[in-house]
Amino acid sequence: MTSRIPVTVLTGFLGAGKTTLVNRILSENHGKRIAVIENEFGEVGVDHELVIGADEEIFETSNGCICCTVRGDLIRILGQLRKRRDRFDSVLIETTGLADPGPVAQTFFIDEELKEHYALDAIVTLVDARHIEQELASSPIALEQIAFADVILLNKIDLVDAAALARIERRVRGISATAAVIHSRNADVPLERVLSLHAFDLERALALDNAFLEPARPFEWAGIYQLAPGRHTLATGAPGHDHDHDHDHDHDQHTHDEGNRLAQVDLVLLPAADASAASIEALLESATTLFESEALQAAPGTALAPRLRHRLQLAPGAQFQIDVPDPASGCWALFSEHAPVEFGLHLHGAKPLVQREFGSHHHDLAVGSIGISDARALDANKVNDWLSYLLQSRGADILRMKGVLNLAGQNRRYVFHGVHMVFDGQLERAWSSEAPRRSRLVFIGRHLDRHELEAGFESCIAR
Amino acid sequence: MNAAPGRLAPRERTELGDYPVDAAWSGDGRMLLVAGGEGQLLLLAPDASGPPELIGRHEGGVLAVTWQPAGRLFASSGQDGEVRLWDARTRQGRLIHSSQAWSEQLAFADNGRLLALSTGRTLQLFDQHGELRASFAGHAGAIAAIAWRPRGDQIAAAGNGGMRLHRPGPPAESRDYPWPGACLSASWNADGRLLASGMQDGSVHLWNVASDDESQLPGLGAKVFATGWSASGRFLAAAAASVLVVWDFNRKGADAMRPIELAAHSERISALAFRPSGSWLVSAARDRRLLLWRVGSASEPQDAHLLADDCTLLRFSRDGARLAVGDSLGGLTVYDLTP
Repeated sequence: MTSRIPVTVLTGFLGAGKTTLVNRILSENHGKRIAVIENEFGEVGVDHELVIGADEEIFETSNGCICCTVRGDLIRILGQLRKRRDRFDSVLIETTGLADPGPVAQTFFIDEELKEHYALDAIVTLVDARHIEQELASSPIALEQIAFADVILLNKIDLVDAAALARIERRVRGISATAAVIHSRNADVPLERVLSLHAFDLERALALDNAFLEPARPFEWAGIYQLAPGRHTLATGAPGHDHDHDHDHDHDQHTHDEGNRLAQVDLVLLPAADASAASIEALLESATTLFESEALQAAPGTALAPRLRHRLQLAPGAQFQIDVPDPASGCWALFSEHAPVEFGLHLHGAKPLVQREFGSHHHDLAVGSIGISDARALDANKVNDWLSYLLQSRGADILRMKGVLNLAGQNRRYVFHGVHMVFDGQLERAWSSEAPRRSRLVFIGRHLDRHELEAGFESCIAR
Repeated sequence: MNAAPGRLAPRERTELGDYPVDAAWSGDGRMLLVAGGEGQLLLLAPDASGPPELIGRHEGGVLAVTWQPAGRLFASSGQDGEVRLWDARTRQGRLIHSSQAWSEQLAFADNGRLLALSTGRTLQLFDQHGELRASFAGHAGAIAAIAWRPRGDQIAAAGNGGMRLHRPGPPAESRDYPWPGACLSASWNADGRLLASGMQDGSVHLWNVASDDESQLPGLGAKVFATGWSASGRFLAAAAASVLVVWDFNRKGADAMRPIELAAHSERISALAFRPSGSWLVSAARDRRLLLWRVGSASEPQDAHLLADDCTLLRFSRDGARLAVGDSLGGLTVYDLTP
């Protein structure tokens, strides 16, 4: 196959900064010729021979299968553009804010002619840090745009405080564990991090975060403290304005949204054997069980007891007590529903000696990521059967799927990625002799069942 | 130049220096107008020696060309958003339409009096002087194909959501033939009763505009990007991925719905064309093969040629004696065909 032209798809809600980014790409001197297909209502003001306005047109099939929908306008326009292909190096497609990224991505897997000439390089989603939480609460499209993304540009970070930014980033990572998250203001980001990534640099993406290789936990953080007997004060709030203020910007826009602050958080306190990672590991199941018990409401000032699930009511400067009984001094593990930075958690006079973060677990989001990592070689035919079955039966719920596979009898890596029911894969470079051969897969989608996916993977092991 | 019966005889391949996107023969078959994907508008005279004549440009690329069936006018549209009407005698063109959007289809009516062009969701009709005569806006989706009804004054426009038939009038009138799917092609049979369209979902939809019946021919497994009728109207051909089929409308009952597969291409089919007379069909694919079929009498190709690269277009002259074949390396070859 001749080298295919890389295609970047740019999604994100209205106002997230797509137009700013497109204008930068068009005007910056990067030495590349990029054809830009902007949506009909785009605001790119540049008169440029390679800017083409498209009327987003979804081709649905009469059987109503969402996985077969494609963008008819892109098939026509890109079909024409390829005839002058020596005049551009890559393609950028800007979608309308409310667009479901499925059809645009599927177009590059389904249409035989486009597939020969173009390869989907990356889906880049611009997120307006100031508004994303409301958008996630009100629109399934915002969730899908993040779930589909290979690169998430967390834009306008100067307009939120550090706690909100940490919370948003965790939440975004909870939806898509493999996307690269880049912080930006005014969509100012090095273009090589957005365009022609050669895709889905899968191995890097899959190596980024191991949290999604584990079962989801109902808590995001655990830390072990050494506490003397007696009363300790647990304070919340005021996580500190340690972000840079950009004093040039319009201060009317600089409204940290107080309404977005956490109103409550669940905590569990457990005695720990010692201050070690192994101690946290040993307590995971107990803590998980406790997080499933009924929560006790705790108003500011309440004394928290061990082995109970407390729901702390947060208010600016709220403090709580921990009474460590005598003589049970020693190590105590605190499990928290949210990361400490999100609500300014700290114990007066004590720092966690060891701590661990877990994947975000927003239960209101039915979308999440599940990863599988395994060194055993796979039977290519069985993999094919499994993926075919999986995509047929669960294709509507599986938004993205990516993987590097260790196939028995094959010295090269098999690399694939897909959208809903369609995927594209090929053998790429050989396994290195230095690192062990290991398959890594990630599924991003709705209502994913880790047990089902692991059982399916297990059935593919070469015997 | 005479070829052996039932054979395609190639002439010398012409290097265009551009990607042939579309082509149109003059009514007498002496001149061939070629649209270049890089923007050149070229005129070839297969019987004369010499390089192609550059007669104009569309910045960014030419999209479509059409030649007045028995006249000296031709039209071109391009990625510059312009449509030009040219006079072959003076080689002069003039702008008749300009917009931000591309005009992707052009077609002269059989009587040569009206030029149809589609731009996004709008179909417009111009007269020979370049004056706008009718405009039909509001198609459900962008128009993917247009076709004048034989022996009639109607034009069909295919798109997402079905087919529309327009009569220029006066009074102008339009009629909808809705269908939940994306129509990709529009092909009339010879008597103008049957209108076929290849569909995105892999089926072929058929409207009988005389009786108001419609039917759906079974799925081919991939989008049906091209359809065509034999001159007699007996055979309908369709291409989807590497599958080429024909339906024989002389068959009765359930048999009529069963496609006959012409199995010879190993890769995605690029183009098909029926000769304007007889039952000769040509097909070309990414496997670089150009095949000639005598539909209805043989299941094997009658003749086969290897092209320089993937085929970009197949265009028969009106008398069916010549076939223009474009390749994606930027060449054009004229074949002679003697039945």
